[in-house]
Amino acid sequence: MTAVVGLAVADFRERVRRPAYLVMLISAVGLGWLAVPPTDARWVVLDAGGYRGTYTSAYVGLVTALTSALWLTFVGFYLVRDAVARDVRTGVGQLLAASPLRTPVYLAGKFASNLLVLGSMAATLAGTALALQLLRGESRTVDLVGLLTPFVFLALPMLAVTAAAALLWDATPVLRSGFGNILWCFVWMVGAIGGQSASAPLGGIGVSQLAGTMPATSDSFGLGLMYVDTPLRTFDWPGLPLDAPFVAGRVALTLLAVAVALLPALWFHRFDIAARGPATAVSAGEPRTVYKGLPQTPAVATGSAVRLPFAELRVLLRGTPWWWWTGAALLALLGLASPVDPGSVLAVVWIWPVILWSRLGTRREAGAILAAYPGPRRRLLAEFAAGVLLAAGTAAPSAIRMAAEADLAGLAAWAAGALFIPALALALGTLTGAARTFQAVYTILWYMLINDVAAVDFMGALPSGGPPPALVAASALALLGIVFFFRTGRTFGGRGSVCWG
Amino acid sequence: MLELIDITKVYKGQKRAVDGLTLRLGPGLVGLLGPNGAGKSSLLRIAATVTRPTRGQVRFDGADAVARPAPLRRALGYLPQDFGVYPHLTGHEFLTYLAAVRGLSHRSARARVGELLDLVNLAHAAKRPLGGYSGGMLRRVGIAQALLADPRVIVVDEPTAGLDPEERVRFRNLLSDLSADRSVLLSTHIVSDVESVATRIVVMAAGRIRFDGDPGDLVRSVAGHVWELPVAPADLPGVQQRMPVTRQIRTGGHVRVRVLATQRPAPDAAPVAPDLADAYLAVTR
Repeated sequence: MTAVVGLAVADFRERVRRPAYLVMLISAVGLGWLAVPPTDARWVVLDAGGYRGTYTSAYVGLVTALTSALWLTFVGFYLVRDAVARDVRTGVGQLLAASPLRTPVYLAGKFASNLLVLGSMAATLAGTALALQLLRGESRTVDLVGLLTPFVFLALPMLAVTAAAALLWDATPVLRSGFGNILWCFVWMVGAIGGQSASAPLGGIGVSQLAGTMPATSDSFGLGLMYVDTPLRTFDWPGLPLDAPFVAGRVALTLLAVAVALLPALWFHRFDIAARGPATAVSAGEPRTVYKGLPQTPAVATGSAVRLPFAELRVLLRGTPWWWWTGAALLALLGLASPVDPGSVLAVVWIWPVILWSRLGTRREAGAILAAYPGPRRRLLAEFAAGVLLAAGTAAPSAIRMAAEADLAGLAAWAAGALFIPALALALGTLTGAARTFQAVYTILWYMLINDVAAVDFMGALPSGGPPPALVAASALALLGIVFFFRTGRTFGGRGSVCWG
Repeated sequence: MLELIDITKVYKGQKRAVDGLTLRLGPGLVGLLGPNGAGKSSLLRIAATVTRPTRGQVRFDGADAVARPAPLRRALGYLPQDFGVYPHLTGHEFLTYLAAVRGLSHRSARARVGELLDLVNLAHAAKRPLGGYSGGMLRRVGIAQALLADPRVIVVDEPTAGLDPEERVRFRNLLSDLSADRSVLLSTHIVSDVESVATRIVVMAAGRIRFDGDPGDLVRSVAGHVWELPVAPADLPGVQQRMPVTRQIRTGGHVRVRVLATQRPAPDAAPVAPDLADAYLAVTR
């Protein structure tokens, strides 16, 4: 137990001392503000058949706890991922592997650390809820037990599930890749929708326990950020009813999360480099050669603007597995031969390279070397161009068909999409430093698009049409401008202290 | 060629890594020595245009390289102490990529990458992913990339870390050739790395220069102050407290220690000829 606590506390300290943690806490405050809106606001996160509870401690606790259960399970997953990968990257894993620390203890420590991070965000939400209760002024009575009960019984089990899932994803070879990040989007969507059902296993999110405490039927109950035409009427919510089956279900869900967290002990490689395949195998003996003097070929610089984008593209594509190329080839065939209109095919084609695009702005392995290289702006443009080349290359069959059919509007949307996607990837990668941000955001955008939300149709895939291509292209340029500004602050023009420009 | 004038670097938390230091580099190899935390890496990052100085000027061919780093970067080869690579690229591909970043022509890049891989004895591994390279091999990739554009100024930070003795010798020969008509600034805390190749030694401690001059002058500065004496193992802690011990070798039942002292430290102490390691320790203490 000492080892679990020591590991969890050290890992938690390492995370909370990063600037990103402060952003996480501020985001939690923002979530709280969304959950407890002003009394005349037109948005809600809980609609109980046209009613909302009076802002008592118990009710603000309930809505913020449900917000935690719903949204922290999505965002929080991406925030706490990387616990194992960080130990691999920093080399700490090698030290731990050589210690007597047992694998289940290591996993338990990481799980506890994940839960501490998510729990601290939930605690921030609870604090925000209390502050907002007093600010909104509908009830001045502070009831800490009523406030925290929904957090303990609704939010905490879901956060435990999230912490465990993040660890399971981290410690499982297939899931730890970008594919895992995309998969979580779908797992979360299924969980968030199915978890609200009365028949959800172990009570799901726990909303079925609210039946009878609210003037809403299962059909008129709504959970999630919603717009309402008029502010909701109020009722007095009596508090979360606790009965033995409900509590037992929550405990069982939490214990299940612990079991899921420990499950990877069956296959976790314990930082064994050899287990990661031949790519990391060390070299055999080297031939003896004699120093023959300096290179004789002069270094001739041409400043060619063409070679660098293709060099960046090569870096982007290198290491891509064979199945990706097979899929890309099949999609290219689909683009050429499908009877469906080429715009619709785009939506299928442009989800395939999401993992490759997500590398834009996040590839910092060679940063220490490149920091002293000339042309940082040129490199940034080349990185963007590589993303555009990837978009254009994968969707070239659609463009060819559009050109053959003289579909100029489709071509314009195609071109705007090819600019927008890498610009979004580069911006999110640069701003957050993590590939998973783009993977999650883009998957959600894509999911909305294929569900006919025309407002996010940045590639002209829907027959109903989306935003004008000029607007999409302008958004791409604006995103690129943000990237330039941000990187300028760190590397160009000398505003920052890290690097010069 | 490259001038670092009155450079100060203060990090967050008011840690003063470099403190009003001035260094002018011309052709030749300058060995920058100093203990851990002396500020060597900070100074090198400033010289390599990676870190902006808090105060002071960096001038390259007389021009302000802080405001306009591009000319210096075009003429610079920099090997950082810690660096990463793209693990899925082969050694050849990685250098080719960096050559494209440097704007080298295709023909020139192809030839130089091959020659540099030969130079650092990596031709046999050129087509293997960097993820499979050992630490010493990666260090040699770093050395090769620093020489890609035939730089006039070479800044290398702990370049021999992870190299085996044979590769160290090769690297010293390489540096010796390079320094004939280029400025080479080599930072290390291993005295033997610079002993045979440096034309000038700069010793740093606590962000300041403690010595700047000819290696011979540095050694001569401790002439007559280096002694060897046998010590019983039990007396060793006392000796270490009284005077700087530069070396100690256990032989049989006693320890032969090499110490710095202005006067004969013991009746059985014998004067010995100083070397660079003795002089370095004398300066940094």
